[in-house]
Amino acid sequence: MTVTVESNNFIALADVALHNEDLQHAVGEGTRAAYYKRLDTMFATSSEHGESMRQQAAEAKRRALRDLPDLLEKAERNLEKNGFQVEWALDAAEANQLLLDIARRHGVESVTKSKSMLSEELGTNHALEAAGLRVVETDLGEYIIQLANETPSHIVGPVMHKTKAEIRDVFVHELGMEPTDDAEEMVAFARRMLREDFLKADMGVSGGNFLIAETGSIGLVMNEGNGRMCTSLPRVHVALVGIEKLVDTVEDYATLTQVLPSSSTGQKLTVYTNIINGPRRDDEDEGPEHAYVILVDNGRSDIYATKYAEALACIRCGACQNACPVYRAMGGHAYGWVYGGPIGAVLTPLFVGLENATPLPHASSLCGSCKQVCPVDIDLPRMLLDLRWDLVQAGESKVGWDMAMKMWAIGMTSPTRFNLGGVAARTGQHIMGEYMPGVLGNWTKHRDFPDFAPKPFRQLWAARRHSRVKERKNERA
Amino acid sequence: MSAREQILGKLRQARQPFTDVQPIQDRQPMIPMAGLSAADQLSRFISEAEALGCCVYQVSPNEAIEQIMDLLDGDKTVSSWDEAELPLPGLRGMLESLGVSVGAHQDGDTRLGITGVTAALAATGSLIVESGAGRYRSTSLLPDVHIALMRAEQILPDLESWEEAQRRAGYPAFTRSSNTTVISGPSKTADIAHQLVKGAHGPREVHVMILG
Amino acid sequence: MALSARESPKGKTVSLFVTCIVDMIYPQTGLSVVDILEHIGVELDFPMAQTCCGQPAFNSGYRDEARAVAKHFFKAFKDAEVIVTPSGSCATMIRHEYPQLFNPNDGPNDGELFEQARRMASITWEFSEFLVEGLGIGDLELRLPEKECFAMHDACHGLRGLGLGRASRELIGNLGNAELVELNECEVCCGFGGLFSVKMADISNAMLQNKIDNINKSSAGTIVTGDVSCLTQMNGGLSRNKSRKRVLHLADVLAKGLEGIDGGRA
Repeated sequence: MTVTVESNNFIALADVALHNEDLQHAVGEGTRAAYYKRLDTMFATSSEHGESMRQQAAEAKRRALRDLPDLLEKAERNLEKNGFQVEWALDAAEANQLLLDIARRHGVESVTKSKSMLSEELGTNHALEAAGLRVVETDLGEYIIQLANETPSHIVGPVMHKTKAEIRDVFVHELGMEPTDDAEEMVAFARRMLREDFLKADMGVSGGNFLIAETGSIGLVMNEGNGRMCTSLPRVHVALVGIEKLVDTVEDYATLTQVLPSSSTGQKLTVYTNIINGPRRDDEDEGPEHAYVILVDNGRSDIYATKYAEALACIRCGACQNACPVYRAMGGHAYGWVYGGPIGAVLTPLFVGLENATPLPHASSLCGSCKQVCPVDIDLPRMLLDLRWDLVQAGESKVGWDMAMKMWAIGMTSPTRFNLGGVAARTGQHIMGEYMPGVLGNWTKHRDFPDFAPKPFRQLWAARRHSRVKERKNERA
Repeated sequence: MSAREQILGKLRQARQPFTDVQPIQDRQPMIPMAGLSAADQLSRFISEAEALGCCVYQVSPNEAIEQIMDLLDGDKTVSSWDEAELPLPGLRGMLESLGVSVGAHQDGDTRLGITGVTAALAATGSLIVESGAGRYRSTSLLPDVHIALMRAEQILPDLESWEEAQRRAGYPAFTRSSNTTVISGPSKTADIAHQLVKGAHGPREVHVMILG
Repeated sequence: MALSARESPKGKTVSLFVTCIVDMIYPQTGLSVVDILEHIGVELDFPMAQTCCGQPAFNSGYRDEARAVAKHFFKAFKDAEVIVTPSGSCATMIRHEYPQLFNPNDGPNDGELFEQARRMASITWEFSEFLVEGLGIGDLELRLPEKECFAMHDACHGLRGLGLGRASRELIGNLGNAELVELNECEVCCGFGGLFSVKMADISNAMLQNKIDNINKSSAGTIVTGDVSCLTQMNGGLSRNKSRKRVLHLADVLAKGLEGIDGGRA
């Protein structure tokens, strides 16, 4: 099953979020808490040091992307040396089919999954369930999302949009939990429920935060420990890894695996920073007997060939979502696909096609916070501007705007026409009064508009030059 | 054409991005630790681990055994690494003399798990455990309470210095060990209304015993 | 472009780029800029051919239209030695986007235009930046007629595009009778974003309401900012919300300080 794309409904979906006070409160609190923790951790030493770590991380990812095809082959060799079986998938259908083939090969009936945004892109859960497998998401947030039959609204905190009471209701209705408003009791309840799944599962599916080319290792970060369960307890482990997750060296990995949680939750390291090097060794009586890595493209090689290649440097920390005032106001679901916030506004059109996500490049005030907090210094505002340009070139912009911009440019390329425009505006305002017409009415819906000045600055300047002191006094009087 | 060939072919056909990327000249660690003495590193390790919610003890081997006895609460089983992998001889015998069954116990119900560590990191208060024969991954994962036994000499400044040591030693933790985990405090989650709760899926308590 | 690499503007004639919004809606802010600069002895010029920097088109993806307006800007300011503008946003457009718009790799292959774009970028200063970084004047030795409490709203482009924020705080901090307090979330966007404010008006408004909440909670009676576009958004919301607080442009606050000194404005 393919993942639905509703990004062209952005305005309507945003409207739903903007009328949900619980959601706004939850998202507002969650994003701000993470934003300030990030500041504390990233800049604990000094602002210069934090900044240089960002640049170090940015360089590591860009260097890896520069050498991507070579590094992929190097990673494949080293993964195989470690005993991983490596598969390649061009798109979602291939990736899900490979997973199913592996499951059938090993007689798998139940699957535990740790958090993977890539699997959200691929619609993996639905594909496995459709084939009759039992699939359980084990990250607490993802577990709640799965029970509620929703999609994650935040890269790191999938259930950030829900209040405690809403989560309680999900557990009560779906699993018959004794009602409680105590978060510790809810966590303990989920722990008991999932413990059985962990112990029974035949196959664990994980993502991969990093793939270290020189050692053939999967780097996985988590706080709950569910990822360790999924990669240690079942007989089979499969890691779904996007081809952009490559890092060259262990030193690059050391930087990135610390910059990621520092930017994300303000932790120096996540509770578990896991380095996975294949199946159990011969002398071990624990760990998966079979370990696979599926290297997934799913549109990445297309993006690689464009001016948007930098978007592939993203390490999915969610810092841009936490910093973005647009995201803070309405959460991630309005973006209509897998990724919300500034990185979602860029990735979604690149993955699903600009024509299927035309509002997203405009879903930003271009305030620049996203670039400022990005641990790998992705110039998201620049890419949003480029996507807007693409929209105009592709004729996806509204005809009214095309006309308005042409007229505007004509007005702005001559001081005479500029002045006439000013006269028209003053007269227009005089006639229309407080509320403006057309799209400008969207302004006066929420805010008052100031009066145009009776005389523009250029007139005042000319007069002042004429009679410097006298005129000045009259103007100010 | 296979997916592999198609993907690599497309990447090679594309105009190579970031050809102007300048290599970092002065690579820095995330948390500057240069110049810290062993004693400073020890105290830093303790304060960081405690800040993460670990209970840290500086104890003699006998005191460590006593502390572990105190943590027992009528437990019939204890999950533990093999005795040869622990820096505390006599522990197993002491537990067994009390009728406690000591072993891998990957059942998911055993409450206490006892491991050693490969190394510990001062900058982040972290413990590094490598899986291997007699060093079970589940011992530091399934029980409610994880007891880590270590010596002060195992403390390294930070993740970068551990990885540097790995490079010098030919990457044993990356190639010999199937699974290496850097553990920083008890398992936790903040998924429910951003409220921090310990013991999400892994241990809710981590006791670190630094043996003197 | 690093500040250190820029040529000092000291002793040069300043060509004022007041911006289209100041020209038509806030001419008094333009006069305040003139008052302050003349007070410290800066020689001023106002090229009458000026209109707009082209940012509205650029930000909407209309690069051809933005280039047309930028080319007009080059003509209007072709004789300028130094350009000063009371807008961090327009200054960012000129400093960062002009060289990109005319970059031969990306835009039209016209070396002459590219050179002009780079020259405009190199001589353009935002008002507070010009005073503090350019002239080295952080204390204008001005005094308000009576005590007032202010807080800064850091307009996004000035803050993140030009690295401003310190300069305006220094100028207000040194203004007699002025108390400066910090505004919670002073670095967070007010929701203006140019055409974003009408294209996505409801989201823009949600951002604005958050800003208004913070302004209303602040002990400052007046919020100071460096961009009249953000000022229009915030004052439009404050007025609609019947709040008594208002946002003023930095130049207008500083110009009030001329009233409290001997030989200043009456």
